[in-house]
Amino acid sequence: MKFVDDSQNLRVRLRLIQVLVLVLLGVLCVRLYLLQIVNGARYAEVAENQRIRLLPIPAPRGVIFDRNGNMLVDSRPIYSVILSREVTKSIDYSFIKPLADGLQLDSEILRERFDQVKSQPAFESIPIKEGATSADIAWVDAHQLEFPTLRIEQTPQRRYPENGLLCHALGYVGEISPEQLKQPEYRDKGYKPGDIIGQEGLESVYDEYLRGRDGYRKVIVDSRGHIQNEVERVEPQSGQDIVITIDLDLQKAAEEQLRKSPQGRGVIISMDPNNGEILALASAPTFDPNLFSQRITTKAGRAEYQKLLNDPDHPLINRAIQGKYPPGSTWKPLMATAGLKQGAISIDNSNLVCGGGITIGNKFTRCMGGNHGSPNVHFAIEHSCDGYFYRLGLKMKLEGIQSMVDMFELDKRTGIDLPHEVVSTTPSRELKTRLYPKDPEWKDIDTVYSSFGQGEDVLTPMALLRAHSSIGMKGKMYVPHLLKEVHPIGAVGNEPTRSDYRAERPAHTFDRPEPKNLGIPTDQSDVVVQAMWAVVNGGGTATGIKLVGFDIAGKTGTAQVVSLGKEGSEHKDHSWFVSYAPAYKPEISVVALIENAGLGSRFGAPAVRAIYDVYYAKTRTAKEKPDSNIALKIR
Amino acid sequence: MVAILQKRKLRDFDWLIALLAIAIVSFGAWEIHNAQPTEPYWQKQLIGLGIAMVAMAAIAFSDYRRLVELAPILYVFGLMLLVIVLIPHVGMKINGQRCWIKLPIAGQFQPSEFVKIPVVLMLAKYFGKHRTGLLTWKELFMGCVILGLPIGLILLEPDVGQAITYLPLLAIVLFLSSVRMWMVVAVLVACIAGAPLAYTVGVKTGLLHGYKLERINVILDPENADKRGFGYHTWQSMVTVGEGGLTGARGSEYSQSSLKFLPEPHTDFIFSVTAETTGFLGCLLLLASYALLLTRLINDARRSRDRTGMLVIMAIVGGLIFQIFINVGMALGFLPVIGVPLPLMSAGLSSVLATFIAIGFAISVQLRRFVN
Repeated sequence: MKFVDDSQNLRVRLRLIQVLVLVLLGVLCVRLYLLQIVNGARYAEVAENQRIRLLPIPAPRGVIFDRNGNMLVDSRPIYSVILSREVTKSIDYSFIKPLADGLQLDSEILRERFDQVKSQPAFESIPIKEGATSADIAWVDAHQLEFPTLRIEQTPQRRYPENGLLCHALGYVGEISPEQLKQPEYRDKGYKPGDIIGQEGLESVYDEYLRGRDGYRKVIVDSRGHIQNEVERVEPQSGQDIVITIDLDLQKAAEEQLRKSPQGRGVIISMDPNNGEILALASAPTFDPNLFSQRITTKAGRAEYQKLLNDPDHPLINRAIQGKYPPGSTWKPLMATAGLKQGAISIDNSNLVCGGGITIGNKFTRCMGGNHGSPNVHFAIEHSCDGYFYRLGLKMKLEGIQSMVDMFELDKRTGIDLPHEVVSTTPSRELKTRLYPKDPEWKDIDTVYSSFGQGEDVLTPMALLRAHSSIGMKGKMYVPHLLKEVHPIGAVGNEPTRSDYRAERPAHTFDRPEPKNLGIPTDQSDVVVQAMWAVVNGGGTATGIKLVGFDIAGKTGTAQVVSLGKEGSEHKDHSWFVSYAPAYKPEISVVALIENAGLGSRFGAPAVRAIYDVYYAKTRTAKEKPDSNIALKIR
Repeated sequence: MVAILQKRKLRDFDWLIALLAIAIVSFGAWEIHNAQPTEPYWQKQLIGLGIAMVAMAAIAFSDYRRLVELAPILYVFGLMLLVIVLIPHVGMKINGQRCWIKLPIAGQFQPSEFVKIPVVLMLAKYFGKHRTGLLTWKELFMGCVILGLPIGLILLEPDVGQAITYLPLLAIVLFLSSVRMWMVVAVLVACIAGAPLAYTVGVKTGLLHGYKLERINVILDPENADKRGFGYHTWQSMVTVGEGGLTGARGSEYSQSSLKFLPEPHTDFIFSVTAETTGFLGCLLLLASYALLLTRLINDARRSRDRTGMLVIMAIVGGLIFQIFINVGMALGFLPVIGVPLPLMSAGLSSVLATFIAIGFAISVQLRRFVN
């Protein structure tokens, strides 16, 4: 100290300040030590996590081909507008209005998406608009400064055939719903919000094959979610292509027939009875599956969906496996087969009285075809004699009818590879009791009704076709199916040990279950086949559809609609025709049900004939058409 | 004779302090470059360093006693600047604060940084007389007036951060002017006990609310604070510091600052950038440099030939350690976020120039310790 200072110990005070300075710096050092040395690794991880993002590269789904290699469904790349979520900031709802205005979106739907994402912390990207137009892309480019988190990405979008072709079998894809995400079957497979999965039909049943495995881009982002650089890229593995048993030509013909039908409602199914392969599966009216894969996130799309749900014709229902109809006279060949097998009638003595009807108690139930005398089983099927089957039913009793149901598995699902198949309703005491609590006892009149297909039993067209096909196949009954084979797909990635390696997925052919052998003696089934052949080729109820050179065996049916007595076309009878051909060595079976049209012979049978025409042209024309030149030479 | 004086001056010149200050600014310029590689801040900082060195030399070689004599004029001039900056269209408004004056060539400057110097000189002049007894109430009052006028004007800008950096100037001067020890102890106790009390009362009465309350809550528990809202700055700064580890985070291409996670990386949070790039060791070195610089200044103060010189240096020391502690404490997440630059490190011509002028005074004082 150069100057004299008498005041309070200045020297000590200076020393105190010196100490204070060092203490303060020391405090900083301790804190620094805690942050950098003790917890350094943790903070480094936090920093790493907030700058690294995994952006999924959605894999395209597999293509669906028909049996002849025609492409039915594919995925095409579209542009989507995506909003990255800023990890470090909360979701900015003020974006909604400018985005909705700029990209022509509905702000309500956008708000819903924001809400959804908000509740899911793992979800980093918000899809704003699928199928962005070039104007949208230009808008995003022009607004990069205002919305740096907006980006354009290419994503695959499912494309289905026009006009709802095969829509009920194909089904559709859609975004996985929050409810599905909670279910273990989805959660355990590692699905995440925003994933597109098969929601209906084959898309849903074979989702495992069709779905690709997403790739990802590991990128570095800044605090606003702007991508700075790509660190790593793992390519996606496309889904496996599948081939289904459908024949596109037959399918188109079937849908055409339904479109032309009086109400535009009905079902046509065609099957290969030798193995259960479904060749055509048409249910009308149809819907456009593209609605679900492309437009459901727009306001117009949602209105369209609501309209489908409220449509009294139920276009979303697959009538082949979800529609249940009284079988009408198509029930008769099944009864006859069972009657022969159970011994109620025999090949040599199959005559039963028709008598124009039957009196049970004091009620007379007439035969619709008039009085046939005492026909044999061949005549009864050929001419659809009701009186004959009343008495056959009474001979077989309810138990015999139930045993028939059991034989043809009419009380079970057919097991087709489509979701939501319903079980047919077949005659039983329990059914009677449930439907008529005031008159619960099973009576003979109930047996009579059940014996010609006008009881309370209702069948799915698929179950009926399967049963009839098995008669043509001399008692061999196959499980119907749509999958033919699955194509393999190669591995993606080089090191099998890495977690991002996508292993090769092998080819796969449909695992066909063994057919059920009904144990029908061949001579018995031949009797029924002959009768069904005569329906078309003899003097039966469907001679109008006879196809020379191709022996169609079939049976017409007219199913009474429950609300009898009412006027108007919507209360007309359903028109059935079930068939297989050629009669003695079937290659194809077809069933048609035309809703509220009238007689089976007038609507169902011609519709089926149209399918056979196409089939015949495809398989016979080239080699078996009578060559007119040959005739000339002979002359 | 002049030559001898010059030679002696050069020998007595406190090279260590000057070189330390220059080294820290250079290091700071490198960190500014790390923080904002694409912006010209670091070049500006180096230009600022050049200007500051000239200013420091000019002050160091002039007689501080003459300048202290001029203190009232400088003080009034400083107050005028603080008034001018409040005039709309003259003072520039940035982030809601009107604290910059735009000059035609030199760019913009911040009067509140420079006015500290006349305030220090004014305090030194008033309290620098030969002292025989205890601090009087009148002296205390005068000290408060000298400090209160500029603080009041700065609060009008409003720039709370700058305003509180004025407080230690008076505190140090009073402490070294024989303020009664029991008063010092009383103030310290009041602060330590009063803070939690004020917090509780403030929350209960609702006086403390909104963002002020949130900012305090963030400090009390940064881990659980709203890391996307009020806690964002504190949390990101802690992450940036922590990431540095022992020797600094590798791969500076994608640093917290270049990805803009860390806000204001070249100014208020330059210490976090330093921590990220150089790690614990680099930070220790920086803090040790500050410790050395401050210790050297205190030693110079002790050897000063008069009270005025001693007070000038010690007020500067008080201002520096206070700013360092507030700024680094904020970067380390245990003090609230207040816009106080880190002396010699943060980008900003005004701050560097003002600090170098202050150091120039210190050198001038110690250069004239033998001169009569």
